[in-house]
Amino acid sequence: MKKGLKWMAGLLTLAMVVGSFAGCGSSSSKETAAGESAAATTAESTADTASAETAGKKLKVALILPGKKDDVSFNQAMYEGMKKYADANPDKIDLNVTENVYEVADIEPALMDFADQGYDVIFGHGFQFMEPIVKVGAQYPDTYFLLGTGYKSLDNTAIYDVELEAGGYEMGVIAALATQTNKIGVIGGADASEIKRGHEGFKAGAKSINPDIEIQEVYTGDWTDTAGAKEAAIGMYDAGVDVIWHSGDGIGLGVVQAAAEKDMYCLGNVADQKTLAENNVLSGVVYQWDAIIANVFDDINNGTFKGRAEDDRYYWINAENDGLGIADINDPKGWLTDDDKQVIADTWSKLQSGEIKDYLPEDIQ
Amino acid sequence: MLSSIFTVGFLVSLLAGTIRLATPILLPALGQIYTQRAGILNLGVEGTMTIGAVAGFSAAYKTGNLWIGLLSGMFFGMLWSLIMAWLSVTMRANQVIAGIALNILGAGTAVYVYRILFGVQSLPPQVTPFAAVNIPVLSSIPVIGQIFFQHNILVYLSYVMVFVTWFILEKTTFGLKIRAVGEHPRAADSKGISVAGVRYAAVLIGGLYAGAAGAFMSIAYMNLFTESIVSGRGFIAVSVVIFARFMPVRAMWGALLFGFASALQMRLQALGIDMANQLMLMLPYIMTIAALIFASKKAEFPSAYTIPYSRLER
Repeated sequence: MKKGLKWMAGLLTLAMVVGSFAGCGSSSSKETAAGESAAATTAESTADTASAETAGKKLKVALILPGKKDDVSFNQAMYEGMKKYADANPDKIDLNVTENVYEVADIEPALMDFADQGYDVIFGHGFQFMEPIVKVGAQYPDTYFLLGTGYKSLDNTAIYDVELEAGGYEMGVIAALATQTNKIGVIGGADASEIKRGHEGFKAGAKSINPDIEIQEVYTGDWTDTAGAKEAAIGMYDAGVDVIWHSGDGIGLGVVQAAAEKDMYCLGNVADQKTLAENNVLSGVVYQWDAIIANVFDDINNGTFKGRAEDDRYYWINAENDGLGIADINDPKGWLTDDDKQVIADTWSKLQSGEIKDYLPEDIQ
Repeated sequence: MLSSIFTVGFLVSLLAGTIRLATPILLPALGQIYTQRAGILNLGVEGTMTIGAVAGFSAAYKTGNLWIGLLSGMFFGMLWSLIMAWLSVTMRANQVIAGIALNILGAGTAVYVYRILFGVQSLPPQVTPFAAVNIPVLSSIPVIGQIFFQHNILVYLSYVMVFVTWFILEKTTFGLKIRAVGEHPRAADSKGISVAGVRYAAVLIGGLYAGAAGAFMSIAYMNLFTESIVSGRGFIAVSVVIFARFMPVRAMWGALLFGFASALQMRLQALGIDMANQLMLMLPYIMTIAALIFASKKAEFPSAYTIPYSRLER
């Protein structure tokens, strides 16, 4: 009796919690995802069904984010890019945004769910969506799938990615020119695909200015431990580093705060982070996903999305198409001379024109 | 590389980092000592800390007063743990399940509240966090001063709480009651001690400490709130309590050990030690597990640990 009661109470608790959970709508469970999407649809779709039917072309688009749309980073950049496109083209797409689908186990059912509901285009915004998209994509050949960073694709799927190495290279040049101690640092989340390329680009850029520069590098292991990243940055600044680039996400906020506390420089990623610490954010990489979002929908509408070779199923944001940009130099300490600034500008235009290339070590290209 | 490790600067930075990183583990661990000594295992500390972090940040942001933020974090941490107290004491639910469920619910609720209050912004709202307080004279001692006496006020207070906690548990009748209901609730009951009342108090105090630690994360260590600002520190705190055999001073050493390992691995990585960064990242956890194995041989759990009490059953 006693044991039975205990378990019943336990199960009741769980049921209660799961119930209230769905109600409060912020989790990764499928139930909640559905709850959120309902809310998101009403809030964000432009709900002009009449004109959609007449045009006959309005695409139902689902954007599935692994994190929060206000993470000040990877997720938010995509969310804002999509929102911008949806607002500018209310007759072309109907957007539904789902947040926090992080675990691979949740991804597959989420993808199938949207495909079954008749969504035309489904974006999985992250590397962990790769295997599920390849699997589900084969089962739904009439649905278009887009994968945010990765390398596997099918005829009806494609990959969009960021050439972070170019941004990293430019940041390396800025850091190497600005440093007073000849010690610079770079802090990243996990050493995954584009982050690793970014870091290698950073090192290459810095060494192009000064081959003997000391570069400290830390991976915090995940993209969310803001406090851990702050401690890593403090450790670097204490060791004499005076400029650090962070390759983004929640950890970046920790680096910016460490820079403010130690009154040193840092370089941002994804969004211009100057307002976080006006005296300490020297510059940064800025992502503009809308540079390629229009291409994706144009290809779908023109029927050119399918039928491409595997090497061709990529949409890159990079220096050339302005999907990757550089935040204005903000140098209250005056560590950069006018000549330095000229070098920085020249480097960027060379990266844009493709004059600087092949700077990554061969094994990660 | 070795030459850059064995320098005074490296050592100072490492040890000051150790103290900073230990604080958000020490505080919830101290609170859990009350809770666990009373016989309740609250695995929901992580969620409680996240609630404390969002409550502390929001109040500090809206009022501009960090102390109000801290009080708000403590209050809401306590309020949140009231659910745990109700589930484990009144409803006599399985404590492991209840704790885990409250973690998930806590994280979800915190983010939900944050978005209601602040909406979706392109850059996160910030507060000016508690500034470092350099203790006069002491902070100017070379090396020692930089390591121990240049932290923010909440760091000092947390270490003071080690002795306050010890005193309350070992030297007051309230502490004796807590230990009594954890060891032998029936005997305590027969002496006229309200088992439910004392256990409620013990869980609420645990929530108070965890809420304070959450607020520490968002308005003292950092200056903003993010969903995963606590990043597992609540779970580490629970293991530190067991490592410490439910003793406050040992909990301090446990928290410092974990803080030291975290601070060390980041600095070794930065210096380019020739080891995969994934291995370096495991260091704090490996050290915690090793310490647990070493310590738990002798760990004496309260006799009524995780067992709900009822007068009607035996």
